Amino acid sequence: MDAALNPVSDIPQRDPATVMRLARLGSFHQSRMSFMRILTRRMKREGWTFSGPVFEIDANGVGHAVYCAHTPDRIYSLIAFAHDLPAEKRSDRVIAEAWDSTFTLFDGVPTEADIDRLRANIPLQEAGRVTESELSVSRANRSVRLWNYMVSCLAKGQQPDPTEVAKVGYLMRTTAVYGSGKLGAADREVIATRPECAAPFQIEMLSVFLTRTYVRDLMQHMANLKGGKRAVTLAPQTARSMGIGNSTGLGMAPFIVNHPMLFNNWIAAREEAIARVRNLAAASAKEVALFVGLLARSVHSAAQWRSDHPIQTAKLQELRQDMAALSAHVAQAELLSDRPWSRLYKWAVSNLGIDAQECLASLMLEPYGDLVDDLADTMAHTQTNTFRINGAMRVARLIGILEDAYGWALDIDWDAKEHCARAWYVSAEKLEPRLGERFEEPIAPFEQPLAPGRDAAALHAALTGWAPDDAIAAFLLTHPEHRHTVRRAQIVAHAPYAEIRDNTISADLLPIDMLRCKLSFFGATHFDPRSDRWVRICMFGNAPYPEDLQSDDADFWPYPTDSVATS
Amino acid sequence: MSYSLNEIEAVAKRAARGGGLSWGISEEAGKAVRWLTSHGLPAGEALAGLLTQNDAITTDKTAPCALDGDWHASDGALCPLGSGAALNDCAERLAAGTGIAMRDVSYPLLVVPFAAWAALHIAAQVAVSWGGLRVVTDGNGLFISNPDDALLVTKAPQLSCAQVTTATGALSQPQSRGEVSPSAWAALNNFAQRTYAPATEASRRLGAGAGASDND
Repeated sequence: MDAALNPVSDIPQRDPATVMRLARLGSFHQSRMSFMRILTRRMKREGWTFSGPVFEIDANGVGHAVYCAHTPDRIYSLIAFAHDLPAEKRSDRVIAEAWDSTFTLFDGVPTEADIDRLRANIPLQEAGRVTESELSVSRANRSVRLWNYMVSCLAKGQQPDPTEVAKVGYLMRTTAVYGSGKLGAADREVIATRPECAAPFQIEMLSVFLTRTYVRDLMQHMANLKGGKRAVTLAPQTARSMGIGNSTGLGMAPFIVNHPMLFNNWIAAREEAIARVRNLAAASAKEVALFVGLLARSVHSAAQWRSDHPIQTAKLQELRQDMAALSAHVAQAELLSDRPWSRLYKWAVSNLGIDAQECLASLMLEPYGDLVDDLADTMAHTQTNTFRINGAMRVARLIGILEDAYGWALDIDWDAKEHCARAWYVSAEKLEPRLGERFEEPIAPFEQPLAPGRDAAALHAALTGWAPDDAIAAFLLTHPEHRHTVRRAQIVAHAPYAEIRDNTISADLLPIDMLRCKLSFFGATHFDPRSDRWVRICMFGNAPYPEDLQSDDADFWPYPTDSVATS
Repeated sequence: MSYSLNEIEAVAKRAARGGGLSWGISEEAGKAVRWLTSHGLPAGEALAGLLTQNDAITTDKTAPCALDGDWHASDGALCPLGSGAALNDCAERLAAGTGIAMRDVSYPLLVVPFAAWAALHIAAQVAVSWGGLRVVTDGNGLFISNPDDALLVTKAPQLSCAQVTTATGALSQPQSRGEVSPSAWAALNNFAQRTYAPATEASRRLGAGAGASDND
């Protein structure tokens, strides 16, 4: 970079060797760069309107509904199919074959013929086929206890207790939202040039946003049918507190390893935002006040966050203590001058755990939308030339890259059991990614290339004996088994956040760290691990509904106000 | 049947891996089949044919012995994927005006996407020629002179690749969907199946991490 544009005194982006450790990635929090917030800001800014032209659902809760989002240029329609699911068939696992509701996001407004075609396919999910007119396919199951409780309350003419509602936080949770060409849907490339699709996962987020409205309406519909004249409408404040749950399994973990450029662009956007804010010489009283207010709401959010998982319980305890310490520090700290945000961040690094450090890193971006929101459009992967291997690269240069980006991996004894205890594989049964025990199950022959550190160490060793000036093309001719690793190394040379700099097959790997990192970029809050490898979250909780987007705050909604009681 | 290009790429990559190719070459095989099917060419069929033909042959037998002179395999025909990857790795030679010639190439159509990526890299049109046929690409678009049966041959005795100095006419542009015949799709899936671990009780119980109840 030009020295004049980047004076020595500038605070650089954080070191990838610090950022890309699993413990830190597994402590990420949502931020202004999160995909849900990018979407809600755009919807408000562009004045999107919404309509619900079809709601044909019978007393058994069976039928379909259509919700349309009107952007300045086009219409997207969520088509929801409602089903009467027997309790024994309700499972969040990807191996399920029936769901309470199934969905597709349609490009345009569907005709009757489209709906008939989709009725024969969408309820089948993976067993169905869709076309280029469909942009996503998803499904959701009820939180049965809360659903029954709320329908029953409203039917009897009573408002549900917000405390009971807050214990779950959603009426339905999605168990998969497929986009990007899955099951025959349109590839991302088909929509990538649309401005509203410039940031990643905007179609999937829109689908979930509309699903939340459908779920609220369906629950009210069932309460009305049950209660007749006695039924009352759910209090808007309670409805607002509710999001859509999501159960995320192992499948998301390989995603971030399999898409190194995309992953880099997410992390790099947030790191650049953090660096920009840390470089501010001063802050205004108004900016500080906004930060302090959202910090208080973050403290409240951490108090509301529930999990029974021992790892998360311990992390939450530390986070709550640290947030209290951060609040106390902020109350007496001078935050107006002398690079206040960098000073505050450095204080946090010295005094707080990783979880609170990352919470702060996200929080201090909040007053600076004008400074950082443009980075949202850098988060997609558009640099298609990065896939090509540079065969003209010399061996010495590749060794240098390996020692820089994978230095952490080169001294590990990769034959030691504890360092390679796990293996990622795809099961023949449902074609889902799984993580197994290499020394206890016959899975090693089926291992997926999801241990870049181990593979980089092997490549480094294989390069011994090659002359520094030899071209990589010649090396690869006799060593095609290292080709995928050479590609990754050449990517990370230009995209420093492309690679997790940690062991993804060690005995103590926690896949939930990878899941949380990805989900934090979606904008998820209140991660609730259900084991070391699947996690529940809530999406769009406290967000405005479509009809409130223009009148309400469409930006800071992830930070709950204290209107909902905690227990 | 019509598939999304992502579906085609995914199954082709897995099939190549199932057919014994390295992960890196398999990634490129996926993108190669995607590229060709987006131009309406039967690349799924070609990959299925190649994997079937080379099923019992290790890749060291089908890779170029060296990158000097005419490229040839140590014993038998060149694999178009390994050779294509090496061609793309050596794209600078094309920019320097040096052509690359190969002898005995299986399913030569599969070399074309690698030439396309080389063309993108050197920002020039590149031509691949075999059996009286000439295929020109600028990386995205494609022009085929006299498309005939030679396009789909299972082996080309000679294949050459060089930068094009006089620009070719209109190139056809890629489409957003691809077609793969049911038999080729089934064959590719059979190869892909080899990459999947047979389910065991332990993997069902532990592998995906079911722990707490998910029906509440």
